[in-house]
Amino acid sequence: MNSSDLKLNRYKRAEQIKKISYEIFRYFILFSIGYLVIYPLIYMISAAFKSPEDFLNPGIVWLPQSPTAENLKNAFKVLNFKSAFVNTLTLEMVSAFLEIISCSVAAYGLARFDFKMKKITMAALMMTIIVPSTMIIIPTVVNFSNLDFLGIIGLINKLTGSEIRLNILDTPLTFYLPSIFGVGLRSGIMIFIYMQFFKGLPKELEEAAQIDGANALATFIRIALPSSRVVILTVSVFAVIWHWNDYFLAVMYTSQNYPLAVSVANMIVNITSSVSTNTDVITATTMAGCLMFILPVLILYMFVQKGFIKSIDRVGITG
Amino acid sequence: MAKKKHKGTEAIKRRNGQLFLLPWSIGFILFFLFPLAQSLMYSFSEVKLDYGEVKLKFTGLENFRALLFENPDFIDNLTTSLTKFIASFPVILILSLVLAIILNQRFRGRLLFRAMYFLPVIIASGVVIEFLMRTNYSVQGLGVSSSLQEDMFSSTQILDFLGLPPQLETYFLSIMGNLMTALWNCGIQIILFISGMQAIPDLLYEVAHVEGATKWEEFWYITFPQLARVTVLVIVFTTVEMLTSKTDVVMETAYSYMQSQMYAESSAMLWIFFAVISSFMGLLILLFNRFCMKRWD
Repeated sequence: MNSSDLKLNRYKRAEQIKKISYEIFRYFILFSIGYLVIYPLIYMISAAFKSPEDFLNPGIVWLPQSPTAENLKNAFKVLNFKSAFVNTLTLEMVSAFLEIISCSVAAYGLARFDFKMKKITMAALMMTIIVPSTMIIIPTVVNFSNLDFLGIIGLINKLTGSEIRLNILDTPLTFYLPSIFGVGLRSGIMIFIYMQFFKGLPKELEEAAQIDGANALATFIRIALPSSRVVILTVSVFAVIWHWNDYFLAVMYTSQNYPLAVSVANMIVNITSSVSTNTDVITATTMAGCLMFILPVLILYMFVQKGFIKSIDRVGITG
Repeated sequence: MAKKKHKGTEAIKRRNGQLFLLPWSIGFILFFLFPLAQSLMYSFSEVKLDYGEVKLKFTGLENFRALLFENPDFIDNLTTSLTKFIASFPVILILSLVLAIILNQRFRGRLLFRAMYFLPVIIASGVVIEFLMRTNYSVQGLGVSSSLQEDMFSSTQILDFLGLPPQLETYFLSIMGNLMTALWNCGIQIILFISGMQAIPDLLYEVAHVEGATKWEEFWYITFPQLARVTVLVIVFTTVEMLTSKTDVVMETAYSYMQSQMYAESSAMLWIFFAVISSFMGLLILLFNRFCMKRWD
């Protein structure tokens, strides 16, 4: 054994200690922050099944002694769950779907082609990301209550003396129209994510298809989209979650046919007026309502979770 | 001849690009630019609703003057929401970057942890988080039921175990509360950072490894500069998201104005707020470029 061997050994051991301590540090951070993430969820589930007596019993922290479905039943009633759920599906989910399609079209145009005004278009896209949708919600609501974009209906009314008013508030059209054109809820970010991905996609296949005589739209649908499953999944998850949770637009656009997010947000007032004014019952019913609200997305997330997490690795945003 | 043909395909390409963007451009003008201009007009006028029709009367800067000098709450609300923003913005940025780095490494249980950390994305962007983070469930003075943060740490008796003085305890609780709110707001940011890191070519790290760079150097000289553009995106997203969330005071007032049909006041308020937000955003990006990007130029 010479001294250089000893040195090497010592070096190796130091390295090992460093590695292990880093490992410990990593799991410490992961677990302690994981605790912060998981705790509220478990709290929600536990409170949703607790009966009023369980709340009073200090011995019960997590597992309710007499689990009850009463809270869920009450929440179901207060939330107007059935119709609100159907509204969420027909209003929000359909417009999420429309947005997933329309955003991909716009993003492909920006990623693959050079054209006049491209710079201006990009600046406009950035503007839609930066300007909060709250800024334009009042005029949008006013416009939707009297749909007349180029003044055509106003002109007809003037000429014929009729009183036609197209009020599309509280109809699905309010949600669908902006989504069809790709300027719906947070479309800017979705276009951006799509665009980043399309830019990184190899051009050769698409060029070959074009030489074979396929037009741009056919190339996009047949060649580019099938190889973009990853990004479509990422954007879909975002779109579904954002639309599911959308409260601001929904509360302004709807009066009777409101989606689930709106009824969840107004839940406490309804609970106090129709279920109970006992704080424990309010807590339990609120948590039950929250649980019912997130459960569908949670189940959906469990199904796509693996693909989604892997897809994040492959989307690759370079900015 | 050849040149002419080339030009022809270029022209087709150009037209194709415009065709792909045609629907979006229409939508942008009808559902974004047009309402934005209207909202600007509202803020400079007196808005009257007449059988559902909007009648505008130009009043110049009157709305802004009234808000800034006559409305006692507005300035207060503005400072409250900005201090809240300034306090939690760096926490969110750093926390999401650190978590993204950790989650991007290879280790046992990575998929599980990732799945767990993306949970806030599902929940936090919604109304549910408000109920969860609420310190009490009191409505109109119904009394306090429970505080989640307190519950989390006192029920496990960690604090009692450590034997901290009560002042420190409250301080600790408030920090934990802020940390938790920040954590629940960083889901999307983590995702953006991770996909940004995935776009960094492995070659750079291999070279650094050969050159004998430490992990720390690797981070400062490769990861961080390569993430610059994603960071700008994260800054923009976080700013917009935080300042326009449902819980923001200014937004709340603007909404209550909307509901009582004070459209002009609400528009003026939102425009002032937007001016503040965007100048903040500009400042942040400028600072970021000045101090963080200079190192590699």
